[in-house]
Amino acid sequence: MRKLVLILCLLSPILALAQGFQVNLGGQQQIGMGHTGTGLLQDGASVFFNPGAVAMLPENYVQAGVSPLLFKSDFNPLNTGTQYHTADKVAYPFNAYVVWGPKSSFWKIGLGVYTPFGGLTDWGNTWQGKYVLESLDLKAIYFQPTLSIKLTDYLSIGGGFVYNRGSVDLKQALPLSDASGQQIGQAELKGSGKGYGWNAGIYFKTESGVSVGISHRSQVTTTISDGNALFTVPASLGSSFPQPNTFNASIPLPATNSIGFGFYPTKKWTLALDVNVVGWSVYKALAFDYKSNTSSLHDSYFPRNYKDAVVLRGGAQYKSSDNLSLRFGGGYASTAVSDGYVTPEAPDANRFYVTGGIGYRLGHHLNVDASFEYEHLMARTQTNIQSQLAGTFETNVYIPGLSLSYHW
Amino acid sequence: MKFLKQHLYIIAGLLALGACKPEIKTPQPSRGSADFSRFIAVGNSLTAGYADGGLYLAGQQVSFPNLIANQMKLVGGGPFSQPLFSTDQANGSGYLTLTGFNADGTPIIKQVTTNLAIRGVVTIPGFGNATLYTKYTGDINNYGVPGIKLQQILYAPYGNLNGYFERMLPGNSPTNSTTYLDFVTAKPFTFFSSWLGDNDALSYATSGGAGDVLTDKAQFNQLYQVLIARLTAGGQKGVVATVPDVTSIPYFNTVTVGAIVAGVQKANPAVTGIYINALTSASTTGTYAPRIATAKDLILLSFSTAKIGQPVTTQLGPLPYGLTPLTPIDNQYVLDQNEVALTEAYVSSYNQTIKTVAATYGLAVFDAFAYLNQIKANGIAVNGVNLTSNYISGGLFSLDGVHLTPQGYAFISNGIISVINAKYGSSIPFVNVANYTGVKFP
Repeated sequence: MRKLVLILCLLSPILALAQGFQVNLGGQQQIGMGHTGTGLLQDGASVFFNPGAVAMLPENYVQAGVSPLLFKSDFNPLNTGTQYHTADKVAYPFNAYVVWGPKSSFWKIGLGVYTPFGGLTDWGNTWQGKYVLESLDLKAIYFQPTLSIKLTDYLSIGGGFVYNRGSVDLKQALPLSDASGQQIGQAELKGSGKGYGWNAGIYFKTESGVSVGISHRSQVTTTISDGNALFTVPASLGSSFPQPNTFNASIPLPATNSIGFGFYPTKKWTLALDVNVVGWSVYKALAFDYKSNTSSLHDSYFPRNYKDAVVLRGGAQYKSSDNLSLRFGGGYASTAVSDGYVTPEAPDANRFYVTGGIGYRLGHHLNVDASFEYEHLMARTQTNIQSQLAGTFETNVYIPGLSLSYHW
Repeated sequence: MKFLKQHLYIIAGLLALGACKPEIKTPQPSRGSADFSRFIAVGNSLTAGYADGGLYLAGQQVSFPNLIANQMKLVGGGPFSQPLFSTDQANGSGYLTLTGFNADGTPIIKQVTTNLAIRGVVTIPGFGNATLYTKYTGDINNYGVPGIKLQQILYAPYGNLNGYFERMLPGNSPTNSTTYLDFVTAKPFTFFSSWLGDNDALSYATSGGAGDVLTDKAQFNQLYQVLIARLTAGGQKGVVATVPDVTSIPYFNTVTVGAIVAGVQKANPAVTGIYINALTSASTTGTYAPRIATAKDLILLSFSTAKIGQPVTTQLGPLPYGLTPLTPIDNQYVLDQNEVALTEAYVSSYNQTIKTVAATYGLAVFDAFAYLNQIKANGIAVNGVNLTSNYISGGLFSLDGVHLTPQGYAFISNGIISVINAKYGSSIPFVNVANYTGVKFP
């Protein structure tokens, strides 16, 4: 009879890792140039953009940067004039690199610590889609030791090993009210996990002076084991949502294949072009496995059926003096999320972005670089196949950034 | 220190960017060809906001006409008054509340008996007792009267027999003689909703076919013509709703023959079935005879399974209740297969009438019959919540198994708004269903 009364079966935590979660904030100089860098030798951020180029870098580097990110999304439910906005919360993607090799040697080693994926979305607990998502805080920190070798003066290769430390904190309302009619039901899934991957690249200079880079960053499947599954429910339903409870989940962070070109029309100008293909199609479904199941709390399986996405990027740098560089760029990214699968944690859509940046040489060995990026995700009107949440999402992203690098 | 300062600038800059929210452009909502300036709601318990086996303030406040009227205000709708119970008497008629679950998972349900608005009981000769409620004297837009049938809208003494109607009228029972139809059309109005006709079939069904009768099909047709002719006499536009399939609601689907038999077999494996007193043909003139129940016979939510097997005195001595042809389950607890067929035939005829008349007068039709059957078959996801027709867990139906939860009324409101918008080219915004609760759990 319990089954008869209490098949709630409503919990559908959703972790869609859309483009919105690939933050790509690999280095301030590269951000300023529209996120290009696969075919360039800018600085230590080559560890991220193309490990094959590291051995060609003219100097050794120790550098770190941060890119405070503000993800501002708006939702207008279908057939209403209502607008719901995400809360003003700032995420802090960062990047840090060390690159070292003996002067004029054929090799260099490097270490990169950076945050290629992450998301911070807080819709609050009163909006129309609260039963789909209240908030999500997702972080992935990649640690990447790297070795790069110069084969000839024109050609170098490199590769690295990736260890990912990921964490997730997801909150979702449950449609359960207490005796006074307060909508108190809530689920929170909180945990951390790890994953492994690798990357490799090749870099060469052509006779025409154009530089070319090709790189592959592998898929990193991140597994969260024994995360906390916390449920707030009316007391009479406590046995249906046993506490404490844990969950396991596995999330594939997709591979990225890149090709990039550098052009040097004059001494002062650098032009760059990058193309990324992001292998989102590996993201077929999301499954949560709860340690304690009840008739109300089933393991869950949610189809995602993402598709690969393509990003086109272009940028330029103008060295106005020995000390000052001005940068700008932009790009366009196609969405990885098919119609019917758009969800509020990263309401993905085709997007464009523009960037700008300034680099200043503070001394012989010290550079400061500032960057700014504005991204706009096009308005997208959708009815989610699973939740039937229907409406229009539109998103702006603002990302200032600052880094310091010491080089010798 | 310098870094900290720069950091502060960045944060300040980000906060400034906080102002640059994206803003989705939405069209200005429009009333289309309809005029919502004075909207009235005509109907029964579903219109009144009845829930959990009672009419009480919290339910009235989430009645579907009130929810819709709030949305209509965005397209030129006027004030909407309901005959609300006072906060001192907020529990109105009293209602059911869930206080917990038994060890076997069945719900423990109690009646709320405090802060009622009952002012007395009057005995009407030839009818019986009518419970009377505290009078309401203000403006009325929501004329929902729990229990009313279409068959009763022209019956002059009805205002003495139904306490929910009596409390809207100036006079005291048994002195009233205003018909329901006269009363609701006394003040001018520009738009109406009419959801009448449910009780003409449902009262028969919820009494197990034993305590009430089905309204004659021809009479239903004649009265419905009269009703709509009067409501549209001033050229008013409106929306009408069909009668739901009685078998789509949990009142008839929660306690099943199979579950009862399985329960009995745990104690006595020899038992193969339970007996009911069933109609022998799907006709109002059919006779009743005991037989073994099948899955097509619907046991009502009001039936207590503890009765099964209790000794009943018969001519052959004491026999177990429900387990022999001499001691069938009482008719009032069972809507048997033929009674179901009979009810469905009547509902089908009523709905034919409703759709035909609505088409004649160019009214919007909310097909509650199709809507609720669809949900019974497949459930429906709304804003990430799966709503079903299941008792308690389904989220749509309140503890009485017939009427809706606030969430259910909000959901139905959007269905009605959709058909109004489609018919009249208006764009009344939808209600946010996520703001409303299902069954309340202790």
